[in-house]
Amino acid sequence: MWSHMRSTLRNLLHTQKVESDLDDEIASYVATATDEKIAAGLAPEEARRRVLAECGGTEHVKQAVRNGRAGALAESLLQDIRFGVRQLRRNPAFAWTAIITLALGIGATTAIFSAVYALLLRPLPYPGSDRLMLIYQHTKYDAMSSLIGQDFVAAQSTLRSFESVAGYTNNGDQNLTGAGAPMRVLVIGVTANFFPTLRVPPALGRFFLSGEDGKDGPAVVILSHRLWQSRLNSDPAIIGRTITLAGKAQTVVGVLPAHFIFPDSAAEPDLYVPAGIDADASLGTTNVSISLVQTIARLRDGATLPQAQADLKLFADTRVKGYAPFFVNWAEGRQILAQPLQRYLAGDDREPLLILLACVAVVLLIAYANVANLQLARSVTREPEMVLRGALGADRLRLIRQSLVENLTLSAIASVLGLAIAAAVTWLIHHSSMPGQLSSGSPVADLLQAPFGKLSAAVEVNGWVLAFTAGLALLTTILFGLAPAIGSSRSDLSTTLQGAARGVSSGRQQRRLRSVLLVSEIGLAVMLLTGAGLLIRSFTHVLQNDTGFDPRQCLTARMQRNLSEELEKTRAFAHQLLPQVQVLPGVKVAAIGSALPLEDNGWNRTLAFGDRSPLPVGQRPGAYIISISPEYFAVTGTRLLQGRTFTYQDNAAAVSVAIVNQAFAHKYLNGDALGKQFRININGQFIPNTAVGIVQDVRYDGLETDVRPVIYLPFDQAPYREVNILLRTSVEPASLTAAMRKAAINIDPTQPLFDVATMESRLSQSLAQRRLIMLLIVSFASLAMVLAGIGVYGVFTYWVSQRRKEMAIRLALGASRPELLRLTVSQAMPLILAGGVIGIAGGWFLNHLLASMLVAVKVHDPVSLSLAWALMTLIALVGSCVPARSAARTNVISVLHSE
Amino acid sequence: MERNQANLLQGTLDLLILKAIGDGEFHGLGIARRVEQITGGTFTVRPGSLFPALHRMEEAGWLKSFWGESENNRRAKYYQRTKAGEHQLGVETEQWTTISRAIGRALKTT
Repeated sequence: MWSHMRSTLRNLLHTQKVESDLDDEIASYVATATDEKIAAGLAPEEARRRVLAECGGTEHVKQAVRNGRAGALAESLLQDIRFGVRQLRRNPAFAWTAIITLALGIGATTAIFSAVYALLLRPLPYPGSDRLMLIYQHTKYDAMSSLIGQDFVAAQSTLRSFESVAGYTNNGDQNLTGAGAPMRVLVIGVTANFFPTLRVPPALGRFFLSGEDGKDGPAVVILSHRLWQSRLNSDPAIIGRTITLAGKAQTVVGVLPAHFIFPDSAAEPDLYVPAGIDADASLGTTNVSISLVQTIARLRDGATLPQAQADLKLFADTRVKGYAPFFVNWAEGRQILAQPLQRYLAGDDREPLLILLACVAVVLLIAYANVANLQLARSVTREPEMVLRGALGADRLRLIRQSLVENLTLSAIASVLGLAIAAAVTWLIHHSSMPGQLSSGSPVADLLQAPFGKLSAAVEVNGWVLAFTAGLALLTTILFGLAPAIGSSRSDLSTTLQGAARGVSSGRQQRRLRSVLLVSEIGLAVMLLTGAGLLIRSFTHVLQNDTGFDPRQCLTARMQRNLSEELEKTRAFAHQLLPQVQVLPGVKVAAIGSALPLEDNGWNRTLAFGDRSPLPVGQRPGAYIISISPEYFAVTGTRLLQGRTFTYQDNAAAVSVAIVNQAFAHKYLNGDALGKQFRININGQFIPNTAVGIVQDVRYDGLETDVRPVIYLPFDQAPYREVNILLRTSVEPASLTAAMRKAAINIDPTQPLFDVATMESRLSQSLAQRRLIMLLIVSFASLAMVLAGIGVYGVFTYWVSQRRKEMAIRLALGASRPELLRLTVSQAMPLILAGGVIGIAGGWFLNHLLASMLVAVKVHDPVSLSLAWALMTLIALVGSCVPARSAARTNVISVLHSE
Repeated sequence: MERNQANLLQGTLDLLILKAIGDGEFHGLGIARRVEQITGGTFTVRPGSLFPALHRMEEAGWLKSFWGESENNRRAKYYQRTKAGEHQLGVETEQWTTISRAIGRALKTT
């Protein structure tokens, strides 16, 4: 045993010594045996020949000894790996191209697919989450993701195919005061069965009891784990204590577990209150208050989604019978439907991610095609070598194994690099959403944050995806890399060797395969490039959209007074606040407004024009109402087009006035709005108003959507509880943050200031998702283009190397060098053109996928298509010209000599 | 008379080599010749099986080797039997005897 181990070690460690000993031993044997035969009277030549014939070749004997050696397998594997690395190093251009190509493909695909899996495919973090459904409705007016409160109550007691029907209402942001600085928290009202339906247990205390979620229920709250930790120092005795929410004391009854994720990635509630839904399900009169309830239901065991849909249809039909005529009209043609909760939640983020996934898959395909092509080209050059080694007695299986090991080495290096790339990208996504961090400080992480949102913490490298992509890489390299080894075991020695000596080109089949691979690479790259072109053009269009405000030197912050506060007090607060911030050093102009540009936080109101009575509900014109102090437009830098701005004379005692935007003037008053009267519906009362000014359109809903009609009202005449601060500064705007916060706290210590940001950062944030997706797709497309270029280069370098002799003869016969260049390029041209045609055709059909992301560009944009095609053609031509130039430089004498 | 190597049982070759070396020192060709000699020319050991066997037996510790000068002044690798080799010879001889007796008896019965 010991001797065996020692031998194994010796064999592995002193390979060279062991090998040379073996050589000597066999040589000595041959020599001695030859001597014997000579002594027996044979001629020396003949003697040696006979000895060798008896052995069956010395190489054969040596191999037999090696195979019998201790650790033979390990040793020959090590040898194969060393040999493989040597082969790869002998041809570093090939090795690095293949490795980097594969690593990029594996890394990008793994990262993007891991994100897709975490955000779209992974089951929701609730037990039995596949049984959870969202109940929603389509009316003739709009698609609603929620039910009317009264319908919800009826659904709870009617629907048989669900074991429980739970709901939540968005109670919006509220102010949390008490220990520490006042803070703005997101509050969600939930029914008592909400958490039990999700099958989530409390970490501390209890959830709401079934009596507590009705109208005028007790003042109890459940805390999110995050709030409990950050605000209440993880106080284990919190249950039964009170906190102050919107100025009212509330008793804490429970705390959620740390891993709980609210089933809506857009909302991340800080605390939960009882939903407070009226138990009266009747919609028999119009004199009821309407609330909207987001409804999540769990399918009963054994019930299927189609059964539930049928149940819901029956429910909808039955409900209408009890409706008052107003609601009958509203519910005409209404459908109440259910869909898996997961599908609903993936909703918004779904499309960009799927587009990215498609792009990354294309890059991966190109990468694989490229490696396959490189391997094929290389295999043909190496075929004579393989055949020769076979002829010299190397074991065929060994040759195949060597080739296998060489390719395994290549794939392994590529996979490790790919994993590193995937891990890096995932780390960025993961760290882009650490709770409590406004900005991670890394621009890349900030970029990634927007599209993956709050769930990005759940993104991690998916082992299965990595295994799959790396496995595919392995398969590609091996499949195309083994060709020569397997080919050589079939090849006829003499023809191959002769062919190699004459530089005869590779088989027709291989050539065709290579052309197909190349054409598809170019086609795919052109497709990606057109997509990138469309997105770039959309982005520039979005950037050119007039924002209606000047983002420079402008600091903004949001504040929200408690909804229970009397408007008189809100007005007084604002009157105290404005002079305080106005006098801060560095502030040029200060204003307040109920909405900030790009931050869609105003109120929609319906209108009536002229003296006519208002139109029926659902047909009334609407506008976005924003309440501002007179300095508002001076701060935003919005131009007044006609009439006047507000002054402090436009107070509660004066006649009601309004300023409208261009969109309002065009939509409702043919552009001629000045001095026109209209009435605004405020809680059912139509209050008359007069337009005294028209201002330029300001974008409140982001840069991409059309501007809505907006009515500005003087804050003194129509105070709103959203008292946002806007400052135009003469210094760096962010430097005023602390001073502004202090000014607000000085007036009301219970008033939180939140979402402080410069207008420039709001602008950049509003473009973040579009910019990121554009950048990713542009980089994927560039990658695809470069890879395809490398593919062309590789194939034609090989093509030229096979034709050196032909070139030399042509030169010798009087062909000019430019002619040789043309000859090579003319071989490449049909492939490049075919690839372009396929790419344009593919782009024509597949760019529909991008339709939702395009702004002011058609799906079949000739500019993008032709630019993409031209760019790819250019790169491919360059790729083919480099080897063509080397062909044209062929040295006649040396080539003809070498043959 | 030559016999196909494939017919030679694996253990048989080891046994013959161990026996052929005896207490002497032989190089590869010498061992082959000696096997031929002691089997009365029944077995011709070809280098293709001889050398793998020698290396395997050396690794097993039954043989040890050293480099020396051959009769006609060539450098050659010589093999010697070790203690373990001697023991192995005893074991294999016993096995062989048992087997050959058994087979002989089997062939005699009708």
